[in-house]
Amino acid sequence: MDENPGLSEQYRTASPWPFFIALSIPLAEAGILFNLFAVAVGGLLLFFGCCAGMLQEAGYVDRPWRSLVVGAVIVLAFGGLLLYADTQVANEAVQLAERGYAVLVAGIILFVGGLLGEVFVDDGEFAV
Amino acid sequence: MQLNGQLALTILMGLFLVGVFAWLTRVENWSGYTPLSSGGSAVSGESGYVSEEKPAGIVRWLTTVDHKDIGLMYGAYGVFAFVVGGLMVILMRTELATPETVLVQPGFYNSLLTSHGITMLFLFGTPIIAAFSNYFIPLIIGADDMAFPRINAIAFWLLPPAALLIWAGFFPIPNLIPAQTAWTMYTPLSAGVGQGNQMNAGVDLMMLGLHLSGVSATMGAINFIATIFTERGEEVTWANLDIFSWTILTQSGLILFAFPLLGSALLMLIADRNLGTTFFAVGEGGGAMLWQHLFWFFGHPEVYILVLPPMGLVSYILPRFAGRRLFGFKFVVYSTLAIGVLSFGVWAHHMFSTGMDPRLRASFMAVSMAIAIPSAVKTFNWITTMWNGNIRLTAPMLYCIGFVSNFIIGGVTGVFLASIPVDLVLHDTYYVVGHFHYIVMGAITFAGMAGIYYWFPLVTGRMYQRSLAKWHFWLWMVGTNITFLAMILLGYGGMPRRYATYLPQFASLHQIATLGAYMLLLGGIIWVWNMVQSYFEGPVVEDGDPWDLEASGLRTVEWDWFDRKLQTKIADGGEEEPVTDGGVVEDESADELDTDE
Repeated sequence: MDENPGLSEQYRTASPWPFFIALSIPLAEAGILFNLFAVAVGGLLLFFGCCAGMLQEAGYVDRPWRSLVVGAVIVLAFGGLLLYADTQVANEAVQLAERGYAVLVAGIILFVGGLLGEVFVDDGEFAV
Repeated sequence: MQLNGQLALTILMGLFLVGVFAWLTRVENWSGYTPLSSGGSAVSGESGYVSEEKPAGIVRWLTTVDHKDIGLMYGAYGVFAFVVGGLMVILMRTELATPETVLVQPGFYNSLLTSHGITMLFLFGTPIIAAFSNYFIPLIIGADDMAFPRINAIAFWLLPPAALLIWAGFFPIPNLIPAQTAWTMYTPLSAGVGQGNQMNAGVDLMMLGLHLSGVSATMGAINFIATIFTERGEEVTWANLDIFSWTILTQSGLILFAFPLLGSALLMLIADRNLGTTFFAVGEGGGAMLWQHLFWFFGHPEVYILVLPPMGLVSYILPRFAGRRLFGFKFVVYSTLAIGVLSFGVWAHHMFSTGMDPRLRASFMAVSMAIAIPSAVKTFNWITTMWNGNIRLTAPMLYCIGFVSNFIIGGVTGVFLASIPVDLVLHDTYYVVGHFHYIVMGAITFAGMAGIYYWFPLVTGRMYQRSLAKWHFWLWMVGTNITFLAMILLGYGGMPRRYATYLPQFASLHQIATLGAYMLLLGGIIWVWNMVQSYFEGPVVEDGDPWDLEASGLRTVEWDWFDRKLQTKIADGGEEEPVTDGGVVEDESADELDTDE
């Protein structure tokens, strides 16, 4: 039985990335909101890592590493914003700095990962 | 102790990430991608495990980007949420059989009513519509798949975490209680101020879950707009685009404008609760009115987000069993678009009794009355389609007719509520509850059932049991009208909404409503039984036109697709088929033809 009559056989019907991207968003959100350092870092890494992988899979980029660096810049900017906001908030109960550090750590890991991949991973492995 | 907790969490998270990484490297051969110059979704000549065929077993469902698979997952998810939300309300209706509290405490009752509303609107209503649109829109408009198949998968997979977060308060987790804010989450109650217990993290989790479901709906909407605009087959033009696609296109437009606003308002509320902001603080901020305006600017279009596609389903299915084309097709499309535009101009009719400026109130009353016109145009078109038609009372047709009937009652009661003086009397009474349940249960869910029965043979390759379907319909038709008519009468009597207890004078009508709810439960059990048993044991459909639509010239393209599917099945000659559907080798054609009657 042909499940897809009339459809090109080259059509891709599976991708492992969406599931983990969907999982990473609540992890990152909950981690940042409830100030859970590891969950925030892990959720952000998972999100931007899988986005880079998916961009490569879809053919929008050749290699995932620069996407990681772009992700890192966004994350670092957000972390910086949180740190700046913390200095503007007088309320002692609101701890934006800790959340900011978690986001910054995720950004640094993404940045280093992207940089190492760009420099050290052999281009031959990604040959067309 | 706290450090140990952080350490454990870090190790757990690290192990999880390593596990994900290891699994991904096993499933995907990263270095083997062949980038496409077009950047499209079709990938050619690539290597890797999942690229050549659908993987087997559970991995197939976790990794699929096929619109039909995702449609089925949306459907299964929606049905599960419907069962959960239904059981919640059965508990509530049981409690309401007596004036005093017997079964559940008032606080827990409030939690149930909050979760029932959110579950039915966001975890059942929106996903069950997405089930139909994902499965059928690409087939109907001649597209290979959705425009963004991976975004489609992300949109679906956001929903299970959303449900877990929304229901988190009900799970036996220490120090976590379910939200009791009602689905409207009015401040200051939902802001957690005062002496109540709504500062609990369970309320935050519910809001996060709702936010996620909004992100999911927005992603889906962008995908449908892109698909209907850019992926149509050559023979599908704007002039002959089908009515269901029109309603999904309009709905997607509404989602695009409404849901990001809900997301923003929720983030503001979460920030008020956790980060010391004062967006909705009484005195310093916008107060309760700001929340109500923001919420209902989303909330009223949400009503049309939920009702337009079911209207499309009815407009699509009803003519097939009336033996005639849809009467006034163009005007049904125009009405859909008119409702889409007007739906953004009526939100404050939910706030007539808040003491807002009377001049503003009058304008919202006018637009609310005006939106009844396109709705009535559609209703008359459905009736005229059936007029002098060759009506066949199949289960999908019964549900379409039930839709029209219930929609009229729900709609007319709504016109009265749109009138300020009437609203001031009936606001926050059971009349409102009866009115909108006629729409969400009597109309939206009925249209969903029409769709489920109509396409059951196409999706499963088997026919449902007709007599059970009729039992289901009549139990639901009678049950719906008993339950919600009793509520309208309760509202006339002055019974207020959202109470676990009531004065003894309301007992009879409440007991009648509870009886109706049990009829709905019974019908629901019959439906689930029918679906499950027929899926496994129903008679195999061998004709590509099981509804005999060809005779009246009303066959549509998805049945042609089904026919081609059956033809290739026969051409395979019952041999082992290639593993294209998850590795399960099905050889039904040989043996099951003998066993099924």
